[in-house]
Amino acid sequence: MIITNIETVPGKNIVEHFGLVSGSTIRAKHVGRDIMASLKNLVGGELKGYTQLLQESRQQALDRMVDQARQLGANAVINVRFSTSSVAQGAAELYAYGTAVSVE
Amino acid sequence: MYNLLFFITLIAVGYLAGTFAERYHYRSIDHREKMFINLPAVTIKTVNYPDDKIQSAELVYGSAVISIDYFKRFTASLRNIFGGTVKSYESLIDRARREALLRMKEMAGDSKIIVNVRIETSTIGRNANKKGVGCLEAIAYGTALTVDQ
Amino acid sequence: MKYTPRLPKSNVNVTPTSVLREFFVLALSLFGIVIVIYILLGFAVDLIVPRISTDLETKMSELFIRSVDAEDIDSAWGGYAQSLVENLQKRCTKLPYLFKVHVRNASSINALALPGGHIIVFTGLLDKMTSENELAFVFAHEMGHYANRDHLRGVGRAFVFITISTFLFGTDSNISKMLAHALNITELSFSRNQESRADEFALELLNCAYGNVAGATDFFEKIPKEQDPGKFGHYFASHPENPKRINHLNKIIKERGYKLEKEKPLPKIVQQLKK
Repeated sequence: MIITNIETVPGKNIVEHFGLVSGSTIRAKHVGRDIMASLKNLVGGELKGYTQLLQESRQQALDRMVDQARQLGANAVINVRFSTSSVAQGAAELYAYGTAVSVE
Repeated sequence: MYNLLFFITLIAVGYLAGTFAERYHYRSIDHREKMFINLPAVTIKTVNYPDDKIQSAELVYGSAVISIDYFKRFTASLRNIFGGTVKSYESLIDRARREALLRMKEMAGDSKIIVNVRIETSTIGRNANKKGVGCLEAIAYGTALTVDQ
Repeated sequence: MKYTPRLPKSNVNVTPTSVLREFFVLALSLFGIVIVIYILLGFAVDLIVPRISTDLETKMSELFIRSVDAEDIDSAWGGYAQSLVENLQKRCTKLPYLFKVHVRNASSINALALPGGHIIVFTGLLDKMTSENELAFVFAHEMGHYANRDHLRGVGRAFVFITISTFLFGTDSNISKMLAHALNITELSFSRNQESRADEFALELLNCAYGNVAGATDFFEKIPKEQDPGKFGHYFASHPENPKRINHLNKIIKERGYKLEKEKPLPKIVQQLKK
């Protein structure tokens, strides 16, 4: 599955499109990460726990979007955009959406 | 003791009413999506229609604010201790976005295609700044093209 | 660009699991963890409390109980009660406390044991006394609490729990409130056990000081029905209901073969004070 951020897939021809596809996921951190983060607040530096959490969330959101595109019979998703919001206490919501197309 | 009873009642009411409302809403969403299946919404900007064929292009948008029931909110706060996917909130955001998209398509009327669609979400409601959010607003907007054919 | 209208077969964005199931799994796990911590804390408290020497306890309590004397009333009860307690302590028990009795003016039929050996007794209770043995039993019961270090145990656990939950979830959280409430219930039942043991200690002390246990159950039979919390409320009351206590005492009296003889009356000087 080809995923691009631009409107075309360079070097390929877009044959048909299937409309909007999207994937979202919402993940919460647990108290262990919270405690480590408060400790890190003292010394500063990268909060590896949170970075990892958000990276996993982003990956899962993308996977879900690709899954939906596959169900429609597409083999590429173009013009993908991301959006983040905080929906629940201590949880981050990741949203990815794009247009499912068939290229050859 | 009465506090506990009250709390359990709230949770039960939240669960029952919430599940019912959600099921009803999803049925409505599925039905309308089938209706609008022929009006695609895409995120790309370039269109393949020659300029003289395009009748009009105008901004269309749709928004929805969905709130969550007490049962799901409590489950989410429990989930906050252990970490992981907050499954109870997934349906909330899913419904909000699909509803927003459908309302945008309703506004588009008899256009051929909606291009450059963007979707934004924000949390509103009394507790939006503190912890524990209950309401989600999703807004979808794009340009609807009417083509003569 | 050609458009092919298709609908996805399943909803990828929602996990098809029942919310109810997730709720129960999470709630039960949390409950399990809390129980484990509670049990561990119980052991920890049992280990630590006997090691807190009475000297240390007295010193620490001086920090909190500054003005214990302030509400005392000046009455003949004070001197009499103090000599009664000192007598009990000298003759029959080796408790390393320096007991001080404080008489306070209140209609409550109750007596309290505060850290550091301060026993507070209310005039409401004193007015109901009909014999020295009965009063001795009340004081012996409070001394029993000191002997078991009860006043230190119950507080310790609840305090640690509330501290942990406030630290993790903040003071506003629903979970903190529920935890505080649950603790109220369980810590009270813990202290009902302690009350029974204090009763037994008092019985032994009474037998040692007077040669018999007359007057032991008199006090419970006097508490009016309104103060008895009844069947439903008993789980939330910190004292076991009075019929249970009376039965428990009578059982021990029978088991150990304590005698019941004529009770020693209160001295005239305090009989005059009774309303």
